[in-house]
Amino acid sequence: MTETRDNPLEAYVRAALALQGYTFDDAEIAEIVMQFSRLEAISRTVFDWPLLFASEPAPVFRP
Amino acid sequence: MIGSAADIARQIASGTRSAAAVLAECKALIEAKNPGLNCFTAKTLERAEREAAAIDGSYSAGRALPPLAGVPYAVKNLFDVEGMVTLAGAKINAGNAPAAADATIVGRMSRAGAILVGALNMEELAYGFLTENHHYGTTRNPHDRTRGAGGSSGGSAAAVGAGMLPITLGSDTSGSIRVPASLCGVFGLKPTYGRLPRTGTYPFVNSFDHVGPFANSVLGLALAYDAMQGPDPADPACAQRAIEPASASLSLPRGIRIGILGGWFHEWADPSARRSVQLAAAALGATAWTELKSAEVARAAAYIITGAEGGALHRPRLIKQYEDFGPSSRSRLVAGGLIPASWVIQAQRVRQHAYREAMGLFERFDLLIAAAAPAVAPHVGQETLLINGRSIPTKAGLGVLTQPISCIGLPVCVVPVWPGEGDSVAERALPVGVQLIGAPWREDACLAAARTLEQAGIAEVRAPLC
Repeated sequence: MTETRDNPLEAYVRAALALQGYTFDDAEIAEIVMQFSRLEAISRTVFDWPLLFASEPAPVFRP
Repeated sequence: MIGSAADIARQIASGTRSAAAVLAECKALIEAKNPGLNCFTAKTLERAEREAAAIDGSYSAGRALPPLAGVPYAVKNLFDVEGMVTLAGAKINAGNAPAAADATIVGRMSRAGAILVGALNMEELAYGFLTENHHYGTTRNPHDRTRGAGGSSGGSAAAVGAGMLPITLGSDTSGSIRVPASLCGVFGLKPTYGRLPRTGTYPFVNSFDHVGPFANSVLGLALAYDAMQGPDPADPACAQRAIEPASASLSLPRGIRIGILGGWFHEWADPSARRSVQLAAAALGATAWTELKSAEVARAAAYIITGAEGGALHRPRLIKQYEDFGPSSRSRLVAGGLIPASWVIQAQRVRQHAYREAMGLFERFDLLIAAAAPAVAPHVGQETLLINGRSIPTKAGLGVLTQPISCIGLPVCVVPVWPGEGDSVAERALPVGVQLIGAPWREDACLAAARTLEQAGIAEVRAPLC
């Protein structure tokens, strides 16, 4: 594993895992970091898409 | 090959055959074909015998028979079946208590006279487009057993494609009806989001989960769809619409406007998939190309929402039983559960935008068509797909053409088309399905177009050669 200070994505994953109550060894964390990096890459697509500031999210709660 | 649902129901209603005789034929087909394909995870033959006897008793008593009387079917093993454990393809569910009641739509199929014969294999927890299940084995393609059936409803599609059953049920979160229907060469219907109730089904991504049928004929597909419609207050996502029957009239309206989806849908279709679209378009008289510009970003949004909801849903058991999840799903689920809220909110905003763009297209067109999978069925264990010179992981790539559509909940009927393209004789004998995509609540238009293609001989379920 790289030093987490040089890899913010890995640092985020380690912190988020701890916050959510997961305990994994380094090999398992490496696999989760790899999966999360794929999600992070695809998330850039949704942030690059131009939306109006007032665009609402799709799900609307209807009591 | 077993007959169509309509033919079977007609034979039983006329007294030409008994439900017991149809069930006996079905059991023999399952016994002969299932061992090589691994479609079933459980059989419900005692229940099937009871249901068949009830149908034959009704006939003998002169009572009117329901529309699917005596038609055998089976369900993806994420549907509750009274007395059976609902596995959803996962070892973590194997120790759960048996279901106390049937899923709503399983109950509706029973009331329509259909005979439940078993539960079918699927991708673990419905997370993926293959059915290479770590716990319950791989479901193989009926047209080439070296290839996969697709997923996550792989057992449902392969059982129909192999000729064991005329109807099965599955679920579709991002393509899990449409991809295996395409790869196995059968008809499949993913209705509008909220049309069919999901009560009594094992969830994956509540924002996208749909349920629907597979069949070996369009009329069978429509009969099953009609039998399952109707409100169900127990499912908060159910639109609570009255039944809008589709099976009684499957003719395409004169002057229907059909657009061929280009852009993303053309770029990610290989020559065989493009040929399938071309054949379907020609038979429907469609010549106009159009584009859903937000297709790529809608797919990305689906990815983010799927990861976040799936990860959150399974978090408690991922913490306690990580080793009991399959290796191909557990790290993806955990990673999804770490997605920041801001990504999910942005994805939901994008989703709304994509929906509005699609509604704009439906001002110009009544129906849109695109391939249902980027290529023919991949080999079992194949890691990547090569689509027009671009490599993409198989597990994710098979859904590249279905995810943008389920993200916005549109109804889609997949029809089996046989493009006859490919580098080998084996590839040229495989299908690539075509998506017939309707405006919300217009399943009738999707099914009518499917029926037109079936009557033209362009869409058909073929008997496997192997």
